[in-house]
Amino acid sequence: MSGTDREEVGGEAAGGRTFVPSRRTVLVLGAAAASTVITVRPALAQTAGSVLNCEIPVPGPHAGGNYIAPDGNLVPPGTQGAAPPLARPLRGEEAKQLLRGSTPPGVNPQSSQAYANYIRRLQSGMSGFTCYASLQMPR
Amino acid sequence: MAGPRYIADPEDSVSTVALDGLSVLFHAPSGMTHIVAAPAPEILAMLRAGPADAAELLRRLQAHYDFEGDEAAEAIQARLEELEAAGLVQRA
Amino acid sequence: MRHRLDLQIGPVAFRLGSAWCEPLDVLARLYEPYPAPRDRICDFTVRLEPEKPWRRFVRPSVAIKGDYVLPDAAPMALAHGLLAAEMGMNLQMALGQKRYLLLHASSAEKDGRAILMTGESGAGKSTLAALLGERGWRLMGDEFALLDVASGKLLPFPRAVSLKNGAIKVMEAEVAPERFGPRLEGTPKGVIRHMQPNREAIGRMAESARPALILFPRFGQAPAIRAVGAAEVFMRLTQASTNYVNLGRRGFDALNRLIAGVPALAIDYPDTDTAIGLVEDFRQELAA
Repeated sequence: MSGTDREEVGGEAAGGRTFVPSRRTVLVLGAAAASTVITVRPALAQTAGSVLNCEIPVPGPHAGGNYIAPDGNLVPPGTQGAAPPLARPLRGEEAKQLLRGSTPPGVNPQSSQAYANYIRRLQSGMSGFTCYASLQMPR
Repeated sequence: MAGPRYIADPEDSVSTVALDGLSVLFHAPSGMTHIVAAPAPEILAMLRAGPADAAELLRRLQAHYDFEGDEAAEAIQARLEELEAAGLVQRA
Repeated sequence: MRHRLDLQIGPVAFRLGSAWCEPLDVLARLYEPYPAPRDRICDFTVRLEPEKPWRRFVRPSVAIKGDYVLPDAAPMALAHGLLAAEMGMNLQMALGQKRYLLLHASSAEKDGRAILMTGESGAGKSTLAALLGERGWRLMGDEFALLDVASGKLLPFPRAVSLKNGAIKVMEAEVAPERFGPRLEGTPKGVIRHMQPNREAIGRMAESARPALILFPRFGQAPAIRAVGAAEVFMRLTQASTNYVNLGRRGFDALNRLIAGVPALAIDYPDTDTAIGLVEDFRQELAA
């Protein structure tokens, strides 16, 4: 939350002329562990690489902190039986493992069904759709 | 013990637009867009006065702002590392 | 390639080639009222190829190729060839579009004002746009909206609407049967049926419109409306764009101009009629 005035400041270090803000505001520095910079990444992470290296965030960035119910739908955080968002996106190969019923490393086995169903429900436009689209059709 | 000193790109290499409570930055040298919260824009503004480490930045910021909490120096160092990872500041 | 079809959709011309006639025959019927690309100049190529030569005949299997491809992408059954063609076209747009900022959003226009609807699939944006298109609005697109970075206008991309599962019945109740493609069962997204936009949408597909409202609809919730802050809109729209990063500075400026000039609302709605009612209310407020 920014409580700052957006005035230009300069020349402080040289003891030069800065204009003094008319009121002091509180600048929230954030905890050391907090995150204040989000870089916008290409929506299709695998534009040039093999599909096995593509990434599926679980859930996608629209989820807004929601959890994943066992049937793959998004539900409010802390809903009983729901799985939390994965800390890092799944790679294509890991998503395939999930869809086959096994659990990739780093994934809670109790949540793997929820994640697998979430991936199955992925539809066009959500992050990871194109990666998913290439995973599912039977040969 | 002085920490690493950082520098920011010149002002005209970054376009900043303030949107409710956050800022969006376009960093021309990398072509990347970043969405940032306080105190990132303020730190970038303070760095334009010249290279600084976290302690020096704290002093520059203290001239204009009050802070809450006791972790100020660590927080600023953490913010600098975030900005470095994003490519918005580099080590001097 | 053995069979060929050229399609003009909004400002984009596609050349489709296929080893089998079936998918292109279906596509040709679905796109029959559309104008042919001018001067036979095509922006993107899509090819439907057998994964291996003998797979043209034995358990026919369609690999999606084109100017832009996803390497190692799994092929699709021939019965879903129409879907493969659509995915091929989507892929060309998603990876290759450099002229317009591509937004994964549906859009519809009335009285020169366009509404942009974006959100997860299943949120109902495609169905809402299709319905508006039958209720006095001009459907501009169900999947992609094109933002002209120079003018700030939205351009139509009125492809055949891809209806899924429940939405199929909703539209079948409103639209003449001739405007539907075949029913595709057992696809990864469930049941799919394509619907031809109406003659007005097709006839005016070269016409841009000024964006007037950004909507984030969510289906299946008790009715609620909230304004969405500019930073959140910015973040959501970058996530809804496949080429934002590629466009660099122009994308940044175009997106900021869009957000600065256009209100954004999130609406939760329990049924489509409620949503349509809300949209009409907003439109009247904007017109006042």
